[in-house]
Amino acid sequence: MQEIGKIGVRQWMILVILYMIGTTMLIIPSSLATETKQDAWLPALIGIVAGLLPVGLYSSIEHLYPRMTLMEMNEKVLGKGLGKAVSLLFAVWALIASSQVLYYVGDFMNTHIMPETPIQAFHIIFMLVVIMGVRLGLQTLARSAEFFFPWFIALYLGLLLFISPKIKLDNIQPVFETELKPVIRAALFFLSFTSLTLIVLLVLFPSYINKPGEARKAFFWGSLISGVMIMVIVATNILVLGSDLTARSVYPSYALIKKISVGNFLQRIEAVMAGLWFITLYYKIALYFYAAALGLAQTFSLKDYRPLTLPLGMIAIVLSLIVYPNVPYLKQWNTEFWLPLILTIGLIYPLILLGVGACRKKLSGKG
Amino acid sequence: MKRKFILPGIVIVLSILVTGCWNRRELNDIAIEVAIGIDKSGDQYRVTSQVVDPGEVAAKKGGDRTPVITFHATADSLFESRRKMTTLSSRKIYAAHVRIVVIGEELAREGIRGILDYLARDHEHRPDFFLVVAKGTSAENVLKIITPLEKIPANKLYSSLQTSERAWAPTTSVTLDELISDIVSKGKQPVLTGLEVKGEQEAGESKENAQKIDTPTQLKFSGIGVFKDDKLIGWLNEPESKGYNYLINNVKSTVGHISCPDGGKIVLEAIRSKTKVKANVKNGEPGIDIRIKMEVNVGEVQCGIDLMKPDTIAELEKKSEQRVISIVQQSIHKAQKEYGVDIFGFGEAMHRSHPKYWKEVEENWDREFADLPVQVKADVKVRRLGSVGESFLKKEKE
Repeated sequence: MQEIGKIGVRQWMILVILYMIGTTMLIIPSSLATETKQDAWLPALIGIVAGLLPVGLYSSIEHLYPRMTLMEMNEKVLGKGLGKAVSLLFAVWALIASSQVLYYVGDFMNTHIMPETPIQAFHIIFMLVVIMGVRLGLQTLARSAEFFFPWFIALYLGLLLFISPKIKLDNIQPVFETELKPVIRAALFFLSFTSLTLIVLLVLFPSYINKPGEARKAFFWGSLISGVMIMVIVATNILVLGSDLTARSVYPSYALIKKISVGNFLQRIEAVMAGLWFITLYYKIALYFYAAALGLAQTFSLKDYRPLTLPLGMIAIVLSLIVYPNVPYLKQWNTEFWLPLILTIGLIYPLILLGVGACRKKLSGKG
Repeated sequence: MKRKFILPGIVIVLSILVTGCWNRRELNDIAIEVAIGIDKSGDQYRVTSQVVDPGEVAAKKGGDRTPVITFHATADSLFESRRKMTTLSSRKIYAAHVRIVVIGEELAREGIRGILDYLARDHEHRPDFFLVVAKGTSAENVLKIITPLEKIPANKLYSSLQTSERAWAPTTSVTLDELISDIVSKGKQPVLTGLEVKGEQEAGESKENAQKIDTPTQLKFSGIGVFKDDKLIGWLNEPESKGYNYLINNVKSTVGHISCPDGGKIVLEAIRSKTKVKANVKNGEPGIDIRIKMEVNVGEVQCGIDLMKPDTIAELEKKSEQRVISIVQQSIHKAQKEYGVDIFGFGEAMHRSHPKYWKEVEENWDREFADLPVQVKADVKVRRLGSVGESFLKKEKE
């Protein structure tokens, strides 16, 4: 057993929320506004509803193989050799994904807050905390998430409250102007950054949660809540900045926070508000990284995943420095390559698992 | 046992190494810039930076030096000229506290496209400063004027623009975001308030300017500059500028007079004003409906009118409605006939309410705008008479 501790249902839900919001809240308004202009909230809404499908899919996989992690499922469903190969691929992907998110930390800090600090400094310091958290185990991560969650919600609501005087309803009109195609493209894009990435959580869901039955419900609610939170931010971006500025900003939500000025004294609080991203980015990276370490350990049937964290962390840091050479590359990657990739990992792969698994069960039931 | 020492060790080492920011800048290493002036100089940009002299602004001291200093540099681009300034200044110029950006009229007429991207892209600038155009002079000259009351001229400009916008409404404060989205938008053309030097330039440049009771040279906001895309094409005068503010629903308070039936004037103060712009398309013909709702107080009476009669009030309301309508129509007329650009955002209103029609006319909206029929309706309510009921002028007469 690689992980001994189990986490509670509420902790699980908080992890789902923080994980799914992750980078999404910071960057997605820009992409959605590029596609659909002032209707950007619409694909987000469609994305939330459609996003419940992958969540249902992951839940039903779990239903088929209760008390098993994704890696164990792989071996059971696909056979030992193929299963291990798939597990290995999955772990490597999770590692790359964690370094991609890590890149956002450095890029954001370098663009907006400390432009002269070498980007390595952010990556190393941030990754150290991630490694520390993952070494301490899932329980510690979940408890810290529980601790940070009220802060996160307070900052989030504070942001909405303080920005509300700047809302201009004109910005969102005319509604439903966009044609269907860009809306669907944007909705897919939204999905690719939210629900489809939840597949990573299958490494700990539901075997490490103390009440698996309720965990399924919490999974559903967690993804719904974070989806709505993201949609509200998208809509606020459009309402305050207008679709044009939202589309042109690299980090529109940060531009949004810069606009806060209540009575000419509550202003310039963007550095405080940036705490929002650091909390969510941390859990996004930590869970990707946890999936990578645990996945690797289970693939090779190690007793413990902890010895892997430090070397994997080093790899992640180096990888994060080279994973995107520049911002336009990142944009292209996000719009062109990420979607097919995440569709394969987050949709086709679990469908195969489910299909093959169901067939096997039937066969073995007959035989 | 080993753990016991390692953990505190890490904490101590980290707290020494990780404190503070990498590129921290102490207050005495930076020059705080409060205003930027941009002019054209041949093919190049001449940038003027107004920087605070901290010793002079400090509460206690205050010597013979002026509170602010300007630096100039000329280069091919804005960014280059800003960095070039380090050859003049002993400190690196820190731009996060810029209050106002002044654009020389010459540059504004040639087009301001080239300067806006830098202002938006550089992370040090915060998007909360205002942009204005130096009317009939260069930005450099404007930033050289010493102002009374406020030690830092940029602060004077910033608050003066805000105050006049709120209390008199002939100016409009435009931030960088608004300017850029107006330039990009097809349904609205940008405007910037003009800034004039009143009095002699020479006299305004020395500290003595602020030492006289009657300041010889002053900075004055006057009128709104009309842009076509990114080029300044003309100015609105004060009433027209006020009309502009009515149209974009930017009037917080203002004062205006109407004439009494038997000569003399009566002055009304607008305390609340709301404008709604509705676009409509009837039988394929576009049109704009404007509704202005105002609440006014009587502020000054110069004739023997009987204010206590409800009929008089109704009469006043009617007259001031006509007055507002004529102000607004005047500025619409000027924009339509003289400049032919839609600075009021009627195109955006059309886009919001009739997106399909907008698609057809989007490309040549300015031409469409020039012949656009505009209906203006006003609804003025007189609320209060001030602290005096009937004017003593009435008694005097009888």
